[in-house]
Amino acid sequence: MTAGAVGESVRRVDIEAKVQGRRRYPQDFSLPGMLHAVVVWAGYPHARIRRIDPSEALAVPGVLAVLTHEDVPVNEYGINIYDQPVLASDKVRWLGDRVAVVVAETLRAAERARDLVRVDYEELPIVDDPLEAMRPEATLVHEDRRSNLLKHIYVRRGNVEEGFAAADVIVEGTYHTPFVEHAYLQPEAGLAYIDDEGRVTVICAAQWPHDDLRQIAHALALPLEQVREVVPAVGGAFGGREDISVQILVALAAWRLRRPVKMVWSREESIRGHGKRHPFHMRHRWGATKEGRLTAVEIEAVLDAGAYASTSVPVLENAVSFLAGPYAVPHARIDGYAVYTNNAVTMAMRGFGATQPPVGYELQMDRLAEALGMDPVEIRMRNLLEPGSIAVTGNRMPAVTSARETLRAAALAAGWREEPQGWRRPGASILRASHLRRGIGVACAYKNVGYSFGFDDRSTAIVELALASDGSIQSALVRCAAVEVGQGVTTVLAQLAAQTLGLEVSRVRVALTDTAATPSAGSSSASRHVFMSGNAVVKACRQALEKRDAALREESGATRIVAEATFRGHDVRRTTAYDIVDGHCEPHISYSFGTQIAIVEVDIETGAVQVDRLIAATNAGTPVNPRLCLGQVAGGVHMGVGYALMEEFIQQKGQVRTARLSEYHIPTVADMPRELESIFTEVPDPDGPYGATGLGETPTLPTAPAILNAIHDATGAWITELPATPERVWRALRGVPAQPAAPARRPCP
Amino acid sequence: MTVNGRPVSIEVEPDEFLADVLRDRLGLIGTKIGCREGECGACTVLVDGDAILSCIYPALKAEGRSIVTIEGLTREGELDVVQQAFVDAAAAQCGYCTPGFVMVVRALLDRNPHPTEAEIEEALAGNLCRCTGYYQIKEAVQLAVERLGAGGGAP
Ligand code: FES
Ligand code: FES
Repeated sequence: MTAGAVGESVRRVDIEAKVQGRRRYPQDFSLPGMLHAVVVWAGYPHARIRRIDPSEALAVPGVLAVLTHEDVPVNEYGINIYDQPVLASDKVRWLGDRVAVVVAETLRAAERARDLVRVDYEELPIVDDPLEAMRPEATLVHEDRRSNLLKHIYVRRGNVEEGFAAADVIVEGTYHTPFVEHAYLQPEAGLAYIDDEGRVTVICAAQWPHDDLRQIAHALALPLEQVREVVPAVGGAFGGREDISVQILVALAAWRLRRPVKMVWSREESIRGHGKRHPFHMRHRWGATKEGRLTAVEIEAVLDAGAYASTSVPVLENAVSFLAGPYAVPHARIDGYAVYTNNAVTMAMRGFGATQPPVGYELQMDRLAEALGMDPVEIRMRNLLEPGSIAVTGNRMPAVTSARETLRAAALAAGWREEPQGWRRPGASILRASHLRRGIGVACAYKNVGYSFGFDDRSTAIVELALASDGSIQSALVRCAAVEVGQGVTTVLAQLAAQTLGLEVSRVRVALTDTAATPSAGSSSASRHVFMSGNAVVKACRQALEKRDAALREESGATRIVAEATFRGHDVRRTTAYDIVDGHCEPHISYSFGTQIAIVEVDIETGAVQVDRLIAATNAGTPVNPRLCLGQVAGGVHMGVGYALMEEFIQQKGQVRTARLSEYHIPTVADMPRELESIFTEVPDPDGPYGATGLGETPTLPTAPAILNAIHDATGAWITELPATPERVWRALRGVPAQPAAPARRPCP
Repeated sequence: MTVNGRPVSIEVEPDEFLADVLRDRLGLIGTKIGCREGECGACTVLVDGDAILSCIYPALKAEGRSIVTIEGLTREGELDVVQQAFVDAAAAQCGYCTPGFVMVVRALLDRNPHPTEAEIEEALAGNLCRCTGYYQIKEAVQLAVERLGAGGGAP
């Protein structure tokens, strides 16, 4: 009997505590003798630091220390390269740089003293436009580099000149996406203390605790064994907690002062202090035959990497592999550039370089359809990748390639009909008022599952079984540092264990993430835990069963069985880096596909757009917990709607204009589509646990382009710069040029 | 004031807000802080039955009033009908917004046990959630309404 096994919408294991307010988040922890710490943030987006004078601050009663770069043993950190100072020493490069940390007996004293830390700056010119930053004469963000170009990645496939010559129609477009804020509801917070085994222990929200550990240990010059991270409930993450925030700061303070130290960021500090989703400037040129088959694509994308590298290189790698969309195209020239600026650091955010490309490729598809007088579903059907297709990067697509199934399911639900001549859209529906226009828009998208381009992605799980005297399993404990950020991974891992062990899910417990007790599972990102950690848990459970059976055979009388297993992505598909000559590679371990169809109403008098109905067809393989999968789709659509219509993190000359939730608007219940219809296509991933695969990111990707295509369908206007605010739509409808938009210049290299 | 039915007497500073008093002085950490500017609703508690934002509610104003926090809804280990509905509808993901939503819904249903869909949306529109897209929260409210209508568990 395996009540609650795979395919059942069992109750989340953490939900009863959450509805009672009993789950503790990092800001909810306190310890006796605890000190309070606050950050002194950079005063300018780009400036040389001449002097830091803490004397006045130190004179405030209750203040114990003002920590500066001189107090940091190894003053550097960073998730990919160590290019970020823990506390700025010679220079600040964005407003999120931290210059000092004030530690005091009370929060009031710390806050008072913060304003008294005198920092003498010499302002430097700001580079705030990535296209400008690429010019040879541009001010350097990092003086030790020859240019602001962080990375250029490219793909060459076939011969694009030949491809364009064979085209009956060519469409071009430029597209611009903004900086986007994660806006998780729980601001950054951390409590550090020295535990009873002498380890600096940090309680904080994180996505990849074992990588945090590496960076904390490096900065504090401590062996890994002397550092520990405990991750309690996390109030949302979405990529924004993959980088270090408070971790090193509180660890440093606790290590120096030998007392517990707590730091809680305000909402403004959170928005100012952590990175954002990359803005993309994209330029597309696509050719197709009159039958609607793609002959060539030429694409260029420039990413604003902000002041430090963070994960900009892997985001760019991902983006380049997705820029041409889930389509088969014989000739391609694709170039992507990531460029340093004095803007906010840009980092992981739901989609990781797969979220911006659909805003380009799906509008290109509709432009082609329009130029050819073809149905938007039909033209996609003629070009979509399928199992065995060769992608632009030269790799063969795997069995889970389910773009067609998702498009088909969404199209049928929206009223499309498959006729002998091809797919035909539904007829127009009745308008509610004369100033309203209705339109329907389609968009497909896809995303990798797991870490790509040769990264040795792995997850480890330990399973402990408690046995009765007859050898039957009483209960199981799963240890695996797969962080529960709200997505439901704890519940899903419990279900996978229950399924494998033939146990009721209520008898499986998944331990809380603590680097001292749970083995590394990698990050809660890249839609990877169901696939990577799910496979690790299943593998560990199978080994535990074998051990149990052996124990029974040997009549050892064992009452406790422990098994540990590591699952490696390479065992499924060995990914490779971009080839230096043509960019060909085996980019990803696995994939998730989705199609969405939006039906919108545009008010042509105000430019306001309301999504009436959204159909989301997603492939999650075999959904482990359909109810939780639905939650991922709904949450993904929420972010997609915000991306499409309202969210824009604005900086002017490096200064933040949207540092509060009253300035940076995320969708409320009233902004969401009136109706959401979610469909799971259930094309199994033969490499995933019981056919399942990840879906945390895919539902965010098609939403914005589906809405933009629907706005075009309704009004004839192409909105090519996100978000499609009422003002932008209004201007587009009247042909009034927007204020300084993304310049359509060609980047230099 | 009374907090969750128990009398509480405490000295507060004029610039202290109710949210901090509840969390830091009374240890009622179920009330969450997401913005401190009245934008997110995570800090919602009931003051004399009304849903208020405790992050911008001066603690002094609470004098003599009856405060109910998320901790006050669970009675003898039994979930409130609203909490139970959130559980059954899977209306919480990260859960950080959840106490605020539960309190808002509790206040709505106390005032209006049969809200229309528009009234439900209006009540929820002041609270932000970054995880759920709100659909499962709306389902939870419908579920609570149905159960209350069926005579289930209103205090
Ligand atoms: S914390 Fe009170 S409204 Fe956000
Ligand atoms: S469940 Fe995470 S903010 Fe609502």
